Amino acid sequence: MAKKKSETGDLLRDTLDMLILKTLSRGEMHGYDIAEYIHERSDQVLGVEEGALYPALHRLEVRGLLAAEWGASDNNRRAKFYRLTAAGRKQLAEETAHWKRMSSAIARILEPA
Amino acid sequence: MAREWLTEAWLRVKALANRKRLERDLEEELQFHLAKRAEKNRASGLGAEDGRVAARRRFGNVALVKEDCREHWTFTWMETVWQDTRYAARTLAKSPGFVAVVVFSLMLGIGANVSVFSVMNTVMLRALPYPQPEQLMAICPTSKEDPKYDDMPPLAEIADWKKANQVFENIAAVGGIWKGPVTGAGEPAQVPMQSVTADFFAVVGVQPAFGRVFRADEGHKLFQSVVISDGLWKKKFNGDPGVLGKTFRIEGVVSTVVGVMPAAFEAIEQWYQGKSVDIWMPPDPERAMYVKRTDRWSLPVGRLKEGVTLAQAQAQMDVIALALEQAYPESNKGIGEKVVPLYDELYKYAGSQLYPLLGAVGFVLLIGCVNVANLVRSRTESRRKEYSVRASLGAGRRRLMQQFLVESGLLTLIGGSLGVLLAFLATHILRAFAQNLPHAEGIRIDGRVLIFAVGLSVLTAVLFGLAPAVRAARPDLNDVLREGDSRTVAGIRGHARHILVILEVAMAMLLLVGAGLMVNSLLHVLLVYPGFDPSNILTMAVNLPEGNAKYTEKVPGKNGITKSTPQAIAFHKQLLETVAAMPGVESAGMITILPPLGAVSASFSIVGQPVPSREDRPYAGFNEVSPNFFHTMRIPLLKGRYLDKRDTESAPWTIVINESMAKRYFPNVDPIGQQLLLRSEPDQVDEERPRQIVGIVADVKHVGIGGMHPLFYESYLQYPQHLYGTLVIRTASDVRVREADLTASVKQVVRELDADQPVTDISTMDEVLRKFRNSYQYYVITLGIFAGMAVLLAMIGVYGVLSYFVNQRTREMGIRLALGAQRGDVLQMVAGLGLRLSLTGAGIGIALALGLNQFIAQHFWIYHVKSTDPLTYAAVSVVLVVVALLACYIPARRATNVDPMTALRHE
Repeated sequence: MAKKKSETGDLLRDTLDMLILKTLSRGEMHGYDIAEYIHERSDQVLGVEEGALYPALHRLEVRGLLAAEWGASDNNRRAKFYRLTAAGRKQLAEETAHWKRMSSAIARILEPA
Repeated sequence: MAREWLTEAWLRVKALANRKRLERDLEEELQFHLAKRAEKNRASGLGAEDGRVAARRRFGNVALVKEDCREHWTFTWMETVWQDTRYAARTLAKSPGFVAVVVFSLMLGIGANVSVFSVMNTVMLRALPYPQPEQLMAICPTSKEDPKYDDMPPLAEIADWKKANQVFENIAAVGGIWKGPVTGAGEPAQVPMQSVTADFFAVVGVQPAFGRVFRADEGHKLFQSVVISDGLWKKKFNGDPGVLGKTFRIEGVVSTVVGVMPAAFEAIEQWYQGKSVDIWMPPDPERAMYVKRTDRWSLPVGRLKEGVTLAQAQAQMDVIALALEQAYPESNKGIGEKVVPLYDELYKYAGSQLYPLLGAVGFVLLIGCVNVANLVRSRTESRRKEYSVRASLGAGRRRLMQQFLVESGLLTLIGGSLGVLLAFLATHILRAFAQNLPHAEGIRIDGRVLIFAVGLSVLTAVLFGLAPAVRAARPDLNDVLREGDSRTVAGIRGHARHILVILEVAMAMLLLVGAGLMVNSLLHVLLVYPGFDPSNILTMAVNLPEGNAKYTEKVPGKNGITKSTPQAIAFHKQLLETVAAMPGVESAGMITILPPLGAVSASFSIVGQPVPSREDRPYAGFNEVSPNFFHTMRIPLLKGRYLDKRDTESAPWTIVINESMAKRYFPNVDPIGQQLLLRSEPDQVDEERPRQIVGIVADVKHVGIGGMHPLFYESYLQYPQHLYGTLVIRTASDVRVREADLTASVKQVVRELDADQPVTDISTMDEVLRKFRNSYQYYVITLGIFAGMAVLLAMIGVYGVLSYFVNQRTREMGIRLALGAQRGDVLQMVAGLGLRLSLTGAGIGIALALGLNQFIAQHFWIYHVKSTDPLTYAAVSVVLVVVALLACYIPARRATNVDPMTALRHE
């Protein structure tokens, strides 16, 4: 069944997806590290509950944008590592381009004439 | 995109296959995160326990996150539905009473609807079996003065239409179906036949399987070409391929077979009642009834040209009708022509029978739904806490609603399945009920009926499930979670429940009035004395052919009017004398049309009084009888004398009238000795000699078993206008014992008199009456059953509301009883509410019925009873009140048995 969410909900979700893809473009990471990374880089702007990250990760994995593998973390604990797939890379490129177009358009509008 | 979707589906299926592993992985992944966060918190100086708590707080609701994650991997929606179904089944199993009532209500409602639909499905919901049936139109004359006018146009007029119009490809005239005697091909027999113009086959677009159709010029007074059915070809000619060119006689007219229709071909019949036709023949152009502009006997059927719409055709026919009005003011004054799709015209009769029933079962279902809605409402009230708890634990609105709809869906599924089963079991009752409708033998539960059942069930589930679902989905958490307040909340909302029950009772009452009027009509039909003694009478038709020169001749100078020959009178005389002399026969008589099957109609003027204008001429029915008819049927003489042997053509012409006619037309004078000048309409020609009234006999129910009609009797042996007739033979002993040998003897006598004359329609008088009554009986019974269902359901509704009321007020009643209230007071409180609701509903129902009485009279089978008949209204009111008292009794009893102590501890 299709889920209908509010506009802002969609925006938030898309942003989170993009942040995850961007983060993973640096290489393989597990959930906790992704959370930490986004937390630091976004100046805590996205002060959401950390748990919200996981449904997003699973969604991207099911869509085939991410691949996951269990591996050993520090002090040998098992952790689930995510990485970008080819489809994910492509998606990130598209989203980034889209985002740049959007922000430059907005910037032009806001600039004094 | 498609590939992405495929991989996604594959991943999901994989996950589905390995649910446990997914669950474990998810748990481990989230625990890992929490552990890492807790470690970090410890590193920044928190204690071990505080670190863990902080980690959790930062993470959010673990269970909810898990659920969200899971949702991506699984087919959540279906799984939750499954989950909800199991939950619903478990909770429903805990309240078997509720389930029983709901399922029962739905079973009756859906079952009744499916039953009626299965009849409609077979009988009506089929295209006419001709190519491009949507182009076929019936053209029905209308009259400005008489809205009920339904005479058919004469052939000459149809010929005018054909010349003047540009909208129809062709127009044919289709006559009525009657049984005519076929002789000269094996045993003489009565065969269903129909006169159609030669264009008929082209208009319907069906050609013979072999041979050809007849041409317009192949109808003649002495010989004609005919087309026969596949059935007759196989039965009468043993499927002989050399049948073309074979001849037989129909009423003495030599008929040559020129074609055989395909087996699947169906005849066209106005007010289609499923009769079949074995012979199609051209109208005899010399016979007056086909030629004169005043005679109206056939249904015009036209095929529209490609691309012409109904509105265009109608516009043109309006213009043509106007022109004809000016050309023939005598016959066409005020006559218009209405173009109607042939389908509508043919299925008018079936529709007039079935739509009222569909309306009735619609009511039954509606009442059932109200019932269920009310019960579900009560149940929701008492489960509000459950929903609130679930909502406060984080169940989403959608999920709560879904659970509700699943529950109502489950109930409807059970109820609907049982309903279909009920309809299936009722199939043969339905066939009996629909015996007068075409294709009734094919009534069954097929795919279309099942689709209807499913659609109806879904509609029902939504109807009664959606409103409570929406309400349950936004429970007022605080209100409900606080203990005890639920009582007052429910009290306020009780009113809606009461209004629903009142509506329910009103609908049931309306239906009950309709059924009551019909039952009353039926009683009139069943219990009424027909005016003669029907016991031990054997009847059989000996219809002399009216087109035959042996028995009829033209009256010179009287525009095609014919009279019987002396041979015809001699035939009847001899036949009656021989039969009466047979051993075991008490007496024998003859009549044109057996009561209660009808009479012929004629207008008359009274000799010595001013001749009335054409519009104001008095009418009466009449039958030709043999002198001994009255004695045989035991019809008492009131005054004067019966007809007898003295009344011959050369003697003064005589008639006997019935009591109704004497009262109606001779209120102040002695009718005996009065003379009537008869005129057969629409010829506008008086008989050559007046007929004198010689006797008055008691009324006999000739036309139906309802009211009495003015009617008179002429003698077969004097100057009969008709040749066909039915023998009535009274036997001295049990007629059923004598039936076989008497029939054989009569056939033998007839054969000796005229070898070509068939004897048909052999049956006892009791059987004739029984068949006549039966045709109504099933219809009335069917509607009665539906009304009974409606009342039952409405009373279950009253019962349900009262039970709920008692449950809600248990504590109050306990207090009252503890404070010294008498049990009678409590009984009065509960039963009083029930009766108030029932009586209000009944009152509204009666008001509705009175308001709609015109509509009821028109669409229900109501005869001999006024649609406002006070007796019927009183009777059904009593029925309703008695049933209502029963419905009140049980909850009221329970209320009085409340133990004050238990009641006070109820909370």
